[in-house]
Amino acid sequence: MPAAVAVTGLGVLTSIGRGSEAFAAALRRGACGITASNADGLGVAGRLPPFDLGTTLADMRLPEPLLGRALKAGRRAPLSQQASLLTALEAWTQAFGGNTTGAAAASIIVAGNNVAPGYSYRMREKYADNFGVVPASYALHFLDTDQVGILSEVLGIRGEGFTIGGASASGNMGILQAWRQIRYGIADVCVVVGALTDLSPLELQAFRNTGALGGTRYAAQPEEACRPFDRDREGFIYGQGSACLILESAASARARGARVLGYVAGAATCLDANRLSNPSVEGEARAMRLALEQAGLLPDAVNYVNAHATSSLAGDEVEVKALQEVFGPRVSRVAINATKGLTGHCLHAAGVVEAAATLLQMNGRFLHPNRNLRKPIEQTCGFAGESTRDLDIQAALSNSFGFGGINTAVVLTKSGGSM
Amino acid sequence: MTKSEIFAVVTGNLREILPELESVSIDPQQSMRDLGANSVDRADVVLQSMERLNVTFPLIEVAKIENLQGLVDFLHAKVNG
Repeated sequence: MPAAVAVTGLGVLTSIGRGSEAFAAALRRGACGITASNADGLGVAGRLPPFDLGTTLADMRLPEPLLGRALKAGRRAPLSQQASLLTALEAWTQAFGGNTTGAAAASIIVAGNNVAPGYSYRMREKYADNFGVVPASYALHFLDTDQVGILSEVLGIRGEGFTIGGASASGNMGILQAWRQIRYGIADVCVVVGALTDLSPLELQAFRNTGALGGTRYAAQPEEACRPFDRDREGFIYGQGSACLILESAASARARGARVLGYVAGAATCLDANRLSNPSVEGEARAMRLALEQAGLLPDAVNYVNAHATSSLAGDEVEVKALQEVFGPRVSRVAINATKGLTGHCLHAAGVVEAAATLLQMNGRFLHPNRNLRKPIEQTCGFAGESTRDLDIQAALSNSFGFGGINTAVVLTKSGGSM
Repeated sequence: MTKSEIFAVVTGNLREILPELESVSIDPQQSMRDLGANSVDRADVVLQSMERLNVTFPLIEVAKIENLQGLVDFLHAKVNG
């Protein structure tokens, strides 16, 4: 019988909070991480406040030898690797304390491909006049798989390890693969990290030129710029962030008396036979139904949706129609919110950040607000309002959709069922 | 540029790349490997030294050098050559 999959650890680093406690508090407040600046070429974005790895690791009170290994592997690593290291260490220590003996048999999945074009762009600028002296370490760091290597070395993980891409659906794709690792007995423990997407002004301009990126009309009011499901939305707002979940077989979690934050009950992905950026109602609805089928749940069981809802013109419209198709008239009684309204769109990491947001709301029994949702594009949906309210999430759908017709959905539940 | 100045540049780069050497005294007879630098760290120290001393040479030329003194002598010849 396939194994039930528990979540036993969680780490988050976003523009609205470093660490899961701070992130949960920020969700509850409906905090906004989006600011405007031209100094870094990012414009209106959910910027991660600058941090020093050494100081941040010291604040986490990591035991040796974990602290020493983390400093050695991470201190000269680029931003995205450092963010993954911090969220993975937070999640790992939440699940296992400083004990890494179980790590040898664990797997690692890093969600995201081409995660750091910003890093490559900055290196190109720095060495443009003298390519001859580019650091040898750049050959390690520009590879996405450097993240797998760093986490494997620091935690002592020796099972399977890989990166997986799915554009903006990468995070959910990572959770899906991690869920399969546990469900089919490949590993008892799988670390899944959504990698911080480090963009350069080049990618941002290209996104702007496709019409997907917002932030122009609200340049003077950045906190208004990201408005999922609102009629006055303009496009997605880039957010820097990373998150990590520890997935563990329920049997293993039970055997060691671990605290379980929730369960990954099902997950699914499907394609649209379309390489372009436009989303599809049929594909999105199909991914949600497939994920529920995997979880053995009917749509009726779901009382919360963490929507993909990027604040893009086409995307939000299509997702509403897909939700209506899956839930029918009951869509008005399903609580729906968009974490991107607070953090911006964390791109490759989004699925993991939003699964973390779902689990934190589930455990804190609340529903975070939909920032800036004043004129909803649809009246029949159970959108969260502009203030926080109590909600006892029993079963949640967390959606992520990516360019290239990539649809994904993950089902998270409070209880694990009989498996 | 004197050999002492070049030694200061090299050890400065070494400490930047391996911050744990911050309060460790470094002897010119030691090798970077003795001091805990892996092959990528060692290449980075040499490349950063090239950049700061404004010299260029193929890395293969320093591959057989055994200790910091040897590296300083080599860089000194390049800088003043």
